[in-house]
Amino acid sequence: MEPLRQLAKDKLSGKRVYAVMSAKGGVGKSVISSLLALTIGNTTLIDLDIHTMAIPKLFGLEGKLHEVTKNGIEPFEVKTTKIVSLSGIVKDNYVILPGENQSSIMESLIAYSHIDSNTVLFDLSPGLGDEILVLERITDFTPIVVTTPSKISKRVVDYLIRYLRERGKEPKILVNLAYMDCDGKVVKPFGEYEGFGLPIDPNLEDYIGRIQDYEGIVKEKLKEFVQKL
Amino acid sequence: MHEWSVADAVIRTVLNWADDKKIKVKKVVLGVPSFSFLDVEILKEAFDMMKKDSVLDEAELEVRFKDPKFKCKNCGKEFSLNDVKDQIDSVRSEFGEEYPMHFMPALAPSFIKCPYCGSHDIVLESQDMTIDEIQVEENGTVKTVSQG
Ligand SMILES: [Zn+2]
Repeated sequence: MEPLRQLAKDKLSGKRVYAVMSAKGGVGKSVISSLLALTIGNTTLIDLDIHTMAIPKLFGLEGKLHEVTKNGIEPFEVKTTKIVSLSGIVKDNYVILPGENQSSIMESLIAYSHIDSNTVLFDLSPGLGDEILVLERITDFTPIVVTTPSKISKRVVDYLIRYLRERGKEPKILVNLAYMDCDGKVVKPFGEYEGFGLPIDPNLEDYIGRIQDYEGIVKEKLKEFVQKL
Repeated sequence: MHEWSVADAVIRTVLNWADDKKIKVKKVVLGVPSFSFLDVEILKEAFDMMKKDSVLDEAELEVRFKDPKFKCKNCGKEFSLNDVKDQIDSVRSEFGEEYPMHFMPALAPSFIKCPYCGSHDIVLESQDMTIDEIQVEENGTVKTVSQG
């Protein structure tokens, strides 16, 4: 018997669980995950992208270690968002692992974390990796697929959507960098797209390391998206 | 403090397994990788606190440490925990009590290099925590259920 899996299942039972995925890297998935968690509020954001561990960098939590209590690994608290990342366990060490170990690590991260919010949001690494299988084993989640309107993104995102539909899930599609709002005039530099579009905000760059302070147009638009969830 | 989470995991797993069966659990045998350095005293204390008012009320927790065998996929050589003791000690001194492999023994390949060729491409046997045996009393008879 595997006690880890049981504990992980129990930790997520009765909660609203979202999994933020992308078909390829560089579409701004972790930024969107962070902003989504901040927008929803009272959410535990669990960073399962164990190779980049971008979430702590976005919030300025690099090099910080998680505290451990009787309740388990205590998340970092930023406003009403609680953040759990493997980087809070390994610090700035690189993580290089055989595939089968990765699922075990992800399961432990969920099982041992102190999760006391009603909503849990997972940031997954790009592509169809072990994380999706791990999550499918322990919880019924709603997938949110982040993509960009470029032709290549559209093509690679299709297989991800196909897989999710085959597994009986209807993904919500968030199109990052979809349009520019020039004084009320909407310009789509990459053409038309399917899904919920997010505007381009050049100022967002300035908030890397303090994403919790960002209140710009992307977050405004995400509020609309969250209403529909 | 991590021992409390482990005890919680063990209890939940056994309760889930016992379901609504009319049994009394007498003993649970837990196998843990030795390099996770779980404190058995704290683990038992946590187990005894959390088992109350359940089929585990009278259960004793036995912990068996498993010494993993390592194999390097790069050069093919096998090695033991003893061969990489220095490496494990240095991780423990960097992080202290709550060091990474304490929570996640599966992190070992990230922190341990093959002592022969330096590769991180390492496989470990029995790195996960497992419940290996449960002793139960049912209608007055005691039997052991192996979970191997
Ligand atoms: Zn080697």
